[in-house]
Amino acid sequence: MSKIKIAPSTKTGAHHWLMQRISAIGMIPLILWLVLSFIKIAEDPQGYLPVFFAYPLNAVMGILLIIASMYHGSLGMRVIIEDYISNKTKMHFYIMLVHFISITTAVAGVVAIVRLHLIG
Amino acid sequence: MSEKKHPTSPHLQIYRWNLSSLTSILHRATGALLYVSIVAIVWYIVYYTYQINIAESVEDCDCPLRAILDNLFSLAAIGVTFSLYYHFCNGIRHLFWDIGKGFDVKIAKRNGYLVLLCALLLTIATVGTVIYLKLF
Repeated sequence: MSKIKIAPSTKTGAHHWLMQRISAIGMIPLILWLVLSFIKIAEDPQGYLPVFFAYPLNAVMGILLIIASMYHGSLGMRVIIEDYISNKTKMHFYIMLVHFISITTAVAGVVAIVRLHLIG
Repeated sequence: MSEKKHPTSPHLQIYRWNLSSLTSILHRATGALLYVSIVAIVWYIVYYTYQINIAESVEDCDCPLRAILDNLFSLAAIGVTFSLYYHFCNGIRHLFWDIGKGFDVKIAKRNGYLVLLCALLLTIATVGTVIYLKLF
């Protein structure tokens, strides 16, 4: 125990931290919309669910919520992975995997909601 | 120690349990659970969208496996609902910490209990609303 090496700053942490907060603030109204719509859907699922995304507000809020949650989730999962996986190769692999899943899910979800909006 | 090793956080067993560690660990656990469930829900929406005939695809069968799966699904849904409310409430608590408010030990403790209570009450209210609307 002669010397303790201190890892140099990568200068990217603050941006990550800020983006995590900005996406969190942005999701506050989106979650409120989600809870209110959920109660509306629960009243009459068979009648309301097929036409839910036909309403422009629901389509826009749904798309925003998918994008924001996948973004916020990527940032959060990245921190968990960085905290608990010590092997750097594995760590970067899992971070890439989470990004891949998030981007694919977000794009597929947006395409589906646009389709539901147009046919609904 | 090889150069490739990245330092890890102390693992969970090392902490003595108290309110602040519980709320913090729960914030992470619910966050990870929400990530996985949102991915699943979005892919379900994609599946739902591209079904050939939405009207005819709702299958009903009286098989016991189906009933067990439905019950498990309801339990999972309650867990995800609680996670969402908890992560939402505790996230707001974190945002207040970020602007420098609520660091006092007493206030932090009180807000921790408040967040847990709010999340529980909101979950009960939501489950209650769903049961009420389905029964009547």
